[in-house]
Amino acid sequence: VIAEDLALLRDGLTRLLRDNGFEVVAAVGDGDALVHSVLREEPDVAIVDVRLPPTFRDEGLRAALEARRRRPETAILIVSQYVERSYADELLADGRGGVGYLLKDRIIDVDDFVAAVRRVAAGSTALDPEVVAQLLTRRRHGNPLDRLTPRELEVLALMAEGRSNAGIADALVLTVGAVEKHVASILAKLRLPPSETDHRRVLAVLEYLRSTSD
Amino acid sequence: VGRALLYLLTAAPLSALWFGLLLAGAIAIPLTAPTPLVVPVLVAYRALVWSGARLEAALVRDLLGVEIEAPLARFGAKGYLGRVRGVVGDPALWREQTFLFLRMVLGGALAVAIASAIGASAWLVALPAMYSSVDFDIGSWHVDRLGRALALVPAGVAGLAVSWFLVVGGARIWPPLARVLLAGGAGTAGSTATAAGEPTPVAHALRRALPFHAAFFVLLNAVLIAVWAFTTAGYFWPEWTLLTLGLLLAIHGWTVLVQGSWLGPRSAATRALRVHAGAAAAIGLFLVCVWAVTTAGYFWPMWPLLGLALLLGGHALTALAATRDRERLTERIDVLTTTRSGAVDAAEAELRRIERDLHDGAQARLVALGMSLGLAEQKLASDPDAALQLLTEARVGAGEALRELRDLARGIHPPILADRGLEPALAALAASAPLRVDVSAHVPERPPAPVETAAYFVAAEALANAAKHAAASHVEIRIYRLADVLTVVVVDDGRGGADPAGSGLSGIRRRVEALDGSLRVVSPPGGPTSVEAVLPCAS
Repeated sequence: VIAEDLALLRDGLTRLLRDNGFEVVAAVGDGDALVHSVLREEPDVAIVDVRLPPTFRDEGLRAALEARRRRPETAILIVSQYVERSYADELLADGRGGVGYLLKDRIIDVDDFVAAVRRVAAGSTALDPEVVAQLLTRRRHGNPLDRLTPRELEVLALMAEGRSNAGIADALVLTVGAVEKHVASILAKLRLPPSETDHRRVLAVLEYLRSTSD
Repeated sequence: VGRALLYLLTAAPLSALWFGLLLAGAIAIPLTAPTPLVVPVLVAYRALVWSGARLEAALVRDLLGVEIEAPLARFGAKGYLGRVRGVVGDPALWREQTFLFLRMVLGGALAVAIASAIGASAWLVALPAMYSSVDFDIGSWHVDRLGRALALVPAGVAGLAVSWFLVVGGARIWPPLARVLLAGGAGTAGSTATAAGEPTPVAHALRRALPFHAAFFVLLNAVLIAVWAFTTAGYFWPEWTLLTLGLLLAIHGWTVLVQGSWLGPRSAATRALRVHAGAAAAIGLFLVCVWAVTTAGYFWPMWPLLGLALLLGGHALTALAATRDRERLTERIDVLTTTRSGAVDAAEAELRRIERDLHDGAQARLVALGMSLGLAEQKLASDPDAALQLLTEARVGAGEALRELRDLARGIHPPILADRGLEPALAALAASAPLRVDVSAHVPERPPAPVETAAYFVAAEALANAAKHAAASHVEIRIYRLADVLTVVVVDDGRGGADPAGSGLSGIRRRVEALDGSLRVVSPPGGPTSVEAVLPCAS
């Protein structure tokens, strides 16, 4: 399901997803229609613009959270012209995976975007690098993150975006083994428990970042 | 002089108050210093000293006409050390305490001196009217006759003159002290300019007629006195023409005087009041003279004098009220004129900035993007590899254009402000600031959008200044709505010295004033800088 009020973007997104092997079961233009079509079509993932009519504020986010409340297995990917950390916090609040929050800019990089959609649909997370950057700022003094090497910080940021070890290795041009070493070192330095799934690991990292950023 | 006198006399009750406050602080703070109890004590003491400073600043402003602003209080970070360091390390606290101390000691003494000087002199002046009913001796000299009482009147008048100088001189001490101690040297002297109006035709005619009137008076009386001298030379009857015609001449002369430009600012109402006052004084004097040359017994002019005084008082009160109304209206019109042109200027500058940003940024990038796509289209068949590279470039360029547009949009109006309101927007602002920011907000009801936006940008600008110029490490943002007034306060712990006329702050000021709000920036060298915007929320 796609919820986007601008027809140009809605059609473009539909075409892009169809070309990449997705089935678009509904493309709607406002929040109420989104909730209805999620309940009727039971999609794997809903892609939702934050700003929808009638208020053009955070209608989309609210509608998406409502849909997820009524059908908890719905995966949600929010796309927006801007990112705010607090919105990410609200999405992540229930502690389950299957959520994503990306700038619309990222759609341009089709392969990356499609990978993020698949990740969210599979129950993992996809956070925009800008959100992660907002989580990582303002941690200058006396913070455990100071103990990380620059490379480890890069890896941590990619982990927070929701990427798997393979994805991180791809992005940083490293071997998967090297990434695994970095990850283990990061988790040890931050005293986070190693997790059995990528998804749990992401949530732990995000929880950690959110708790230390205030 | 009246306001200066009032200001100097307020020191008497206030000195008692400041004595109590400073003493309480001097006892309670050292006593509680080793315990955590000192934190609420310090905060309460700081708040009280600050309220005192604010009251004093208001008095200086309203009664002495010197525009000064007291800085806002800093309470430091939460916790024992933070509070102690924040409050005790605030230079404004020490300056304010000094001012209160001076008002207590110097101001109190001056108030007592002036009050007694005026009281004693007034008593001496009034003595001829009551010498018979009071017992008054100077050494062995018993004042029991009118002549003796009258002889003391000049002494009373001299005493009043001395008091006048005391008041004028005393009032000169305080503005510089207040500017240095209350405003940290950041005050600006208020100045008022009044344009001299053209004299009316009647006034003109009156002025031209005055010399002739005077000449006529002198001539006629000279003739009459000559006649008297050569004829009876007994009862001095020309006194009647002298008095009545003198009364007329005095009123005429006074009226002309009042029209003259050297008697200060004049509106028609003030002039009328002054003419009235002069005429009443002349009539009163005339009646007293009549009484003196005739009966000199029972002081009957008392009653007409009382009537004259009552009339004059009534006139003065209504005139004062009318003047004040008009002054308020004039001031309001001035304010509206300035703020309107300020708002127009600000909007104009903002539009120009947006146009420039669009032109240099996103628009240029879209042109480049179009070119890359065009080239790729050409090369698609002949050189697919080059075409692919061009397409990648185009995609990166589109991303850049998007990022620039987003930054631009955020600068015009941050999306989270519209979505969620002031508190979350400020929290987001605080989270992205490169220094420690505490936000406390109490905004139970969302203000109108323009007010919210202005409040947000006040905080954003103050925060940016604190980080960029003031080398601050900690900033407090307080925002609260009381009834229909939204107040934003930003206080930092930086080195101060911000220029309220700088482009950023004056842009913010125009924005606030366009909403009928007011912005106060107090930033003495050495800090702290406080910015306070008060915005009415009435839609």
